Amino acid sequence: MDPIFQPFRDDPHYPLDRYEAAADLMLLNMGPQHPSTHGVFRLKLVLDGEIIVKAVPYMGYLHRGVEKMVEGLTFAQMTPIFNKHDYVSPMTNEQAYAVAVETALGIEVPRRARYIRTILAEIQRIASHLLWLSTFTLDMGGVIGGGAAMMMYNFREREDIFDLFEAVTGSRFHYNTHCIGGQRHDLPEGWVQRVRAFLDRQERAFDEYLRLIRNDIFDLRTKGVGVMSADLALGLGITGPNLRASGVDFDMRRDAPFHAYDEVEVRVAVAQGCDAYARYEVRMAEMRESVRILRLLLDQLPEGPICGSKPVKMANAVRVPDGRGYTAIEGPRGEIGTWLIGGGEDKGAKPFRLKIRPPSLHAMAAMSYLLPGHTVSDVVVVLGSLDPIMGEVDR
Amino acid sequence: MAVDQTNLSYEHPLYATMDKMPGITVATTTVDMLLTWGLKNSLWTFAMATSCCGIEFMHANGNRTDLDQMGSVPRPSPRHADVMVMAGTITVKMAPRILRLWEQMPEPKWCIAMGSCAISGDFYRDMYSVVPGIDTMIPVDVYIPGCPPNGDDLMAGLKRLQEKVEAQRAGRWVEPEGRPETAKAILPALGRVIDRDGTQTERQLRACQSMGLDGNEHRQSDLVAKSAGLLSNLLKLKGR
Repeated sequence: MDPIFQPFRDDPHYPLDRYEAAADLMLLNMGPQHPSTHGVFRLKLVLDGEIIVKAVPYMGYLHRGVEKMVEGLTFAQMTPIFNKHDYVSPMTNEQAYAVAVETALGIEVPRRARYIRTILAEIQRIASHLLWLSTFTLDMGGVIGGGAAMMMYNFREREDIFDLFEAVTGSRFHYNTHCIGGQRHDLPEGWVQRVRAFLDRQERAFDEYLRLIRNDIFDLRTKGVGVMSADLALGLGITGPNLRASGVDFDMRRDAPFHAYDEVEVRVAVAQGCDAYARYEVRMAEMRESVRILRLLLDQLPEGPICGSKPVKMANAVRVPDGRGYTAIEGPRGEIGTWLIGGGEDKGAKPFRLKIRPPSLHAMAAMSYLLPGHTVSDVVVVLGSLDPIMGEVDR
Repeated sequence: MAVDQTNLSYEHPLYATMDKMPGITVATTTVDMLLTWGLKNSLWTFAMATSCCGIEFMHANGNRTDLDQMGSVPRPSPRHADVMVMAGTITVKMAPRILRLWEQMPEPKWCIAMGSCAISGDFYRDMYSVVPGIDTMIPVDVYIPGCPPNGDDLMAGLKRLQEKVEAQRAGRWVEPEGRPETAKAILPALGRVIDRDGTQTERQLRACQSMGLDGNEHRQSDLVAKSAGLLSNLLKLKGR
């Protein structure tokens, strides 16, 4: 890469007039409606020929005002709202909320419920990474260029996962299966065998995926593109697979266990490449790791109640006293944090403030550091490799 | 999941005639019938996918409920498309863009409101940043309820749209009478934020106007004026 772009990579606010352009600079808007921006995301690109000099991300096209809205809702009413933040992994978002309220109230979740949560979270991780893989390849290959084949393979498995979730929760997409203190739905009869059969299919499918995408074009498009150093990743607060692809060995499933992760061994996938290819490697390894963890969890799934001795189901029963706390779990995109201040309206039946820390928002901040010096066609590769979901960026 | 195959047959007089004449590959028909047949079986969709429903739209175009079998191909550009599928929540910031994309679509065009956010705003409808339904901006032909509706529902909605297209072309289409009680019921509830103080509506309108197209720069254009008119109508509706 040409060193004249380095100042823009170090500091996105580097003044544009110090740049000596070979030709006239051109302003290009990408989005908010664009098939490859993963939702309604807008990038303002300053181009010198085909090379990006400066990239400015704009967000807020899906701002639904959720954090304000939940201040007027009771705690039991909130779960169906929280699974719509990150609509590719609704299950883990519900769990982040349930864990936050349970921690605030000091509720002990039964062991079986914790196992069910872990199983659902791991299946959701596979589903989320599958959607990432299909959109990533779609962005690079285009619908016509063979990328759609990958999507068809991924969506075959995603439909299987939706069937599994539908069997448990009755819904394909927005589940609303976590209540404060446990689970709302127990696993139906024969579900464990269905998951085992799915895992076998999934494991075979990974090899199919590799046969489809392991080629020189894929390597050329991803290797050395969007290099994010560990310092930059840590400085921007990036978590999850994007951080692990920069060589930082951190996974909350292992380092700060929640649910039942303390009872299984999690082998964290780390890659040193820092580029889009490394992020691909990490996510593929995580999917295989999820299959392994799921087999372990299904083997040692305990019997017992799925909700606490006093199931907290009534809308007015949950009252979080005045106080504040931060809880976080590891979602497919990274750390989903919840900052909860209790003691709101109606004697604490509603939260005073509930702030969500979405992993995608932090990943989006990296765009203006990563893009200068790349060509326009690399934008979708960098954006796709960071795997953002605009629902949780804007909330 | 069962797809009702009986609903998916594309019965046309032309087929029946050709079946009766084995070996004969020429059939006569009116130009109008042929055009209608072609039009309704090639409804290309433009997914205005803002949020969750967009993922389910992808699934509907995926391998289980393949919408290609109905001649409905997803297109990334509004200029290629016949049907706009509004999938997801519409925000005040996004609304002018959606209107512009709708205007870029060539006639004849139709609109499908997919999911409860696009129909009415769902539970976000009273929020300060959300437009309560696409039909406050664009005439909607088919509403597909659900949160989100699955592929079967989308397929059924497209089938309904095909029936409508056929009826429209044949001059048989009668606009359904709006029931006064329904019209009253679907009006947005009193805005939680807007109601809090009387000047909120006006301030919000002014903020939207000054925001302009860019979101950051003050710029006046026809579109901004149009979107401001749209928003004032909308806020009147909310304030009622």
